[in-house]
Amino acid sequence: MAIADAGSSSQRAFRPRRLRLDLTTPTLLGLPLAWLGVFFLVPIAIVAAYSFDVYSLDPGPHGFTLTAWHDFLHSSVYLALFWKSVKLSLTVSAIIVVLAYPLAYYLALSGTKRKYILLLLLIAPFLTSYLLRVLAWKVILGNQGVVNTFLFWTGLRSPDHPLSQLLYSRFAVMLVLGYIWLPFVALPIFVSLESLDRRLLEAASDLGASRLQAFRRVTLPLSLPGVVAAFLFVFIPTLGEFVTPSLVGGTSGYLYGNQIVDLFGTGFPDWETGSVLAIFLLGVVAVLTVVFARFLQPRQVVAD
Amino acid sequence: MDKQEDMERRLSREQLLKVAAAAGGASLLGGRVDAAHAALDWLNADSGRLQVLDWAGYGNDGGQAMFAQYVKAHPKNKPQFTYMGNESDALAKIHAGLKPDLFRPYVGWVKYFAKSGLVQPWDPKQISNFKHLNPFMVKAGQYKGKQYGIPDDWGFDAILYRSDKVHPKARSWGLLFDERYKGRIAWFDDLNMLTIAGLYLGFDKPWRQTDAQLKKSQKLLKSKKHLVRLIWSSETNLWEAFGSGEVWIAYAWPNDWVQMKKKLKVVYMRPREKPVAWVGMFMLLKGTKRPHLAHAYVNAWSAARSGKWLEDNYGYGHANTLARPSSSDLLKALRLTDPRAVTEPNAHLDRDIPRRALYARMWEEVKAS
Repeated sequence: MAIADAGSSSQRAFRPRRLRLDLTTPTLLGLPLAWLGVFFLVPIAIVAAYSFDVYSLDPGPHGFTLTAWHDFLHSSVYLALFWKSVKLSLTVSAIIVVLAYPLAYYLALSGTKRKYILLLLLIAPFLTSYLLRVLAWKVILGNQGVVNTFLFWTGLRSPDHPLSQLLYSRFAVMLVLGYIWLPFVALPIFVSLESLDRRLLEAASDLGASRLQAFRRVTLPLSLPGVVAAFLFVFIPTLGEFVTPSLVGGTSGYLYGNQIVDLFGTGFPDWETGSVLAIFLLGVVAVLTVVFARFLQPRQVVAD
Repeated sequence: MDKQEDMERRLSREQLLKVAAAAGGASLLGGRVDAAHAALDWLNADSGRLQVLDWAGYGNDGGQAMFAQYVKAHPKNKPQFTYMGNESDALAKIHAGLKPDLFRPYVGWVKYFAKSGLVQPWDPKQISNFKHLNPFMVKAGQYKGKQYGIPDDWGFDAILYRSDKVHPKARSWGLLFDERYKGRIAWFDDLNMLTIAGLYLGFDKPWRQTDAQLKKSQKLLKSKKHLVRLIWSSETNLWEAFGSGEVWIAYAWPNDWVQMKKKLKVVYMRPREKPVAWVGMFMLLKGTKRPHLAHAYVNAWSAARSGKWLEDNYGYGHANTLARPSSSDLLKALRLTDPRAVTEPNAHLDRDIPRRALYARMWEEVKAS
């Protein structure tokens, strides 16, 4: 009886705590979830509805149809443009990961006291507007820009024959995207390297590994999640990028993102096709994220 | 601003009550029918700020001189502007719920909007400057005998080139496809490029191309795209590229020539296939709450004084045939003394493209290719 009483009193004692938990969790989660639902999922659902002609800009009769999807999947033009954008994004992401890794390595592992000042310098360009940073490249890359003026001065090129491919080209898009996204790549790699347990490197050294072997078998595998995260940070946004190509890309730098914008805006509004292109991009990015997420788990270091 | 609008609405209601009472009294006392008409006019009085959907540069961002007469007459109903990037953008905004009183598509879209049911015809009697407007442009603003578009600004699509760098083989649209100037050419980002290709290829109806013709036009554009450095969508974009020497040849408007000739040796060439003339057309939205104010606004824009300001400052022509620019160069280039400058045999007046959606898709494919 006493035990039973004790049990019931303890249940009573837990009840308020449980009640508080029940209220706190939905309150904490509810708002962000509602935000995500209203401003992320619902708009995507609306765009998807446009792609199936369930919604239409045209006030005439319309209903569910797969026509736009069929046309898109059988269009060599749109898929080729998507592939062009994928290749460009992959190239940009790979190059800047390779460039950013030594930088992050130096900042994280060199033991310099000024590493946070250097890190601040690295992210300093973020204090200015994205648009301004892109436009500044026009001043550098133009026919009468900094690079060409220098070439004229050195006599390597004559003013009548400037290096024209610097601006309004695919090269310009890659260069500017690389510049813009470099800090985004360096930061995750820096974080993963800095959290590296230095004792593992000492152990490797004690077991006779050279510095290169220690890097290849310890540092690199353990920093791989940071590298993959960094790669995704660049690859996903650049795949749908349209501002940089429209400013410095010219005709040859026209990308998939520009096509989506143009289908919604210029010429004659074709929201149906534009929505198909947008949803397809979203789907590809989602699949890639799931696939790459596997690599975000810290890997084991295996000794021979 | 809200308070002001509320006050205007309140005043308007009070006035209406008085007028209704006066009209009722007049009819009771056997007053004249005119009194009742006057009362009806009062009842129809507009209230609130005029909502204008227009292009950048034509609102409070530099275009004030062209509607100053309206603001002076209606200081309590100053226009409020929303900007449109192009007709397609305007269409999307209106479908999305924007309710302007009037907006300005160009002549090629008059039939499309008139048929869409989104607009209503103007009453030219309420526009005192209407009688001075170019009759060819006025006609282009009509659909089924009704005046859906009131013409205002106009100009040409033609070719601008650097005379110190470029030596055309012929006065032709072909200069936009000239292999000798690879990487120095700028096209315009519009489905009209298919029309230009059709003109160059000698099709008799470039605005109504058959499937086979459209394919040929598209093939030409795709095959020549490698020559093109830039497909411009805003004039500042073009000026920057042209001014810095990135491009030497461009599909351009008269204002581009006006701006570029300030510092470069340039020629604004009328191709032998003829330039395409475009005309801005004010259109009145169906169900507008401020029809009288909209007419007054368009009347201000249609004045010769507004036209001269537009010509002097923007380098475009104006539909008011009395408007004359200060520059004799511009007068000559636009042939402003000849009302037929915009139509045959001098130019092709831009017109409706019945298969606009198809043209748009084919142009997008050119850009994506």
